[in-house]
Amino acid sequence: MVVLRAGLCPGLTEEMIQLLRANGIRTVVDFVSSDLEDVAQKCSLSYKALVAVRRVLLAQFSAFPANGADLYEELKSSTAILPTGSPSLDQLLDSGLYTGEVTELMGAPGSGKTQVCLGIAASVSLGLKQHVLFLDSTGGFIASRLYQMLQAQTEDEEEQASSSEAGPSALQRIQVVRVFDIYEMLSALQELRDRLSQQVVSSTGPLKIVVIDSVSAVIYPLLGGRQSEGLAIMMQLSRELKTLAREFSLAVVVTNQVTRDSSTGPLKPALGRSWSFVPSTRVLLESKEAAGDKGPTQRVVALAKSPRQPTGLQVELDIG
Amino acid sequence: MQREVGSLPLAPSLRARLAAAGFQTAQELLETGPCGLSKEIGISKEEALEALQVVRQECHGGAARTAGGSGTARKFTALELLEEEQAQGFIITFCSALDNVLGGGVQLTKITEVCGAPGVGKTQLCMQLAVDVQIPECFGGVAGEAVFIDTEGSFMVDRVVDIAAACVQHCQLIAEAQQEEDHLKALETFSLESILSHIYYFRCLDYTELLAQVYLLPEFLSEHSKVRLVVIDGIAFPFRHDFEDLSLRTRLLNGLAQQLIIVANDHKAAVVLTNQMTTRIGQSQSTLVPALGESWGHAATVRLIFHWDNSQRLATLYKSPSQREATIPYHITPHGFRDVQPPAVTQNAGGTEVNPRKRPRREEEKQ
Repeated sequence: MVVLRAGLCPGLTEEMIQLLRANGIRTVVDFVSSDLEDVAQKCSLSYKALVAVRRVLLAQFSAFPANGADLYEELKSSTAILPTGSPSLDQLLDSGLYTGEVTELMGAPGSGKTQVCLGIAASVSLGLKQHVLFLDSTGGFIASRLYQMLQAQTEDEEEQASSSEAGPSALQRIQVVRVFDIYEMLSALQELRDRLSQQVVSSTGPLKIVVIDSVSAVIYPLLGGRQSEGLAIMMQLSRELKTLAREFSLAVVVTNQVTRDSSTGPLKPALGRSWSFVPSTRVLLESKEAAGDKGPTQRVVALAKSPRQPTGLQVELDIG
Repeated sequence: MQREVGSLPLAPSLRARLAAAGFQTAQELLETGPCGLSKEIGISKEEALEALQVVRQECHGGAARTAGGSGTARKFTALELLEEEQAQGFIITFCSALDNVLGGGVQLTKITEVCGAPGVGKTQLCMQLAVDVQIPECFGGVAGEAVFIDTEGSFMVDRVVDIAAACVQHCQLIAEAQQEEDHLKALETFSLESILSHIYYFRCLDYTELLAQVYLLPEFLSEHSKVRLVVIDGIAFPFRHDFEDLSLRTRLLNGLAQQLIIVANDHKAAVVLTNQMTTRIGQSQSTLVPALGESWGHAATVRLIFHWDNSQRLATLYKSPSQREATIPYHITPHGFRDVQPPAVTQNAGGTEVNPRKRPRREEEKQ
């Protein structure tokens, strides 16, 4: 809903705007949807000028239809699949995290969401040598644990020759921003978008993945009660994430909490139905009690929503 | 700045009016200016000026942050964080098994939650930590002060006196064994009076007072910059009774949790909360689970659950981002929070310097 302003397009002068406004036409939508003959009569403006302005405005502000085949080609060339660092999780996600999409990890407290996020950051930074942006809103990011994971992964791949360098340089590729408030998170994402659109190829380097741990911690303080502004802000955030993912071909990973309907109901993802449309893939992490004394409890990962795989698939995960 | 109007921290009614008037980005708002804005939306000039100031601060605040300027610059690479973490100290609990399970002790800049049934020792641990945070650095402590927010009224000063006296005695014994300069100097300032005078005590009677106290903490901490521990003893109590609107409770609790994380992070303090237990009635049996609901479980970074096993007290690490889950036994003695069996005593000259919890055998014989 853009307000009509002088200079928006050639031919739209200040006097025209004043005349239009006097007749109740303030925004582009009003202009484009009104009957131009009528407007020409009431405002005593030339019909030809109005038609020309309308054509330019339509070209500027309407969405451009794309061919399906072109879209497919574009997706094939720009989508990348990022490994998560754990082969069983990759299998569940149909070989990894897709760029251009939002993937969600949900689970009860202590189920391992932060660990999986750290594992993803480690594998992308070490294996693919890409930059990672980690937005931490819970204070759960422990760099020494990440370093531990990096060292474990380096040993697996037997890069002993460069292993002394690999660890610290991999750490430098992971940028951590601590945001504890929804507005801080939005401004951090906005900053990222500015940086990427200006294509500043400096210390940031090629960014392919954004991990947000967790998104519900910043939205929960606004939801509930009798105010609906929380939902509005949540949708603002979701739009920001999806545009970032799609425009700049990033993979966005978010973590979410789980709640119960009543004290005995089944677990369901937090943030409600409106949020459930935002991620295209949803994964539920659970920790099952080990039978007998098998040692550390097993983690089970189940696929709850996916555009590619059948839901209900389950694998076991080992958080080393 | 192409920041969308919907994402700026303005009042909802103002935002709705801006959207109806057709403003989309912050740039458009700044270009219009306060007079034009007040005319277009129909608000007073002062309100328009205020709104524009907020917008300007948000947009330029971002720029100041990236330049690493004043205020809250919270962007780091993981390497810098690793170096920071390795230089950070822990607050020891005087129970070496618990310290090992926690990875060295209670971590600074994180929220630790202690849940347990009544009488299992949560307040004892809180009082022990309020004393331990003040241990001077040469003995392995962080030399900080403590803030104790009490909602249940269970803080007993005489008990703290006992715990503090035992701690001072312990440090004196180490100093005698080591005979080093800085140990003796530190002991001059580390006395019973100084310990008690550095515990700042607040009593909150209901949830409004508790919320107010927590939101006023940043100001208090900026005046007392040596505070390294904030204890809230009984965060469940004010929220469990007398609350009809459960969604409001969730909202308040989550806001509280975020505020505490900000406090912990900005002031490099450890935040310790104690929680109560409630019963979840399942199909065939009932289990004890921490109170305040599922969503509260995500607030704390580290979660410890204290429980009984016949007559032995046990502590389980239930949730931690860097340590494995484990269960250890502990004891409450007249001296405070301790291990079940004192560890095998070896007069390890190098070791006792950083491990004040290894008590020399002399102390036991005095008992």
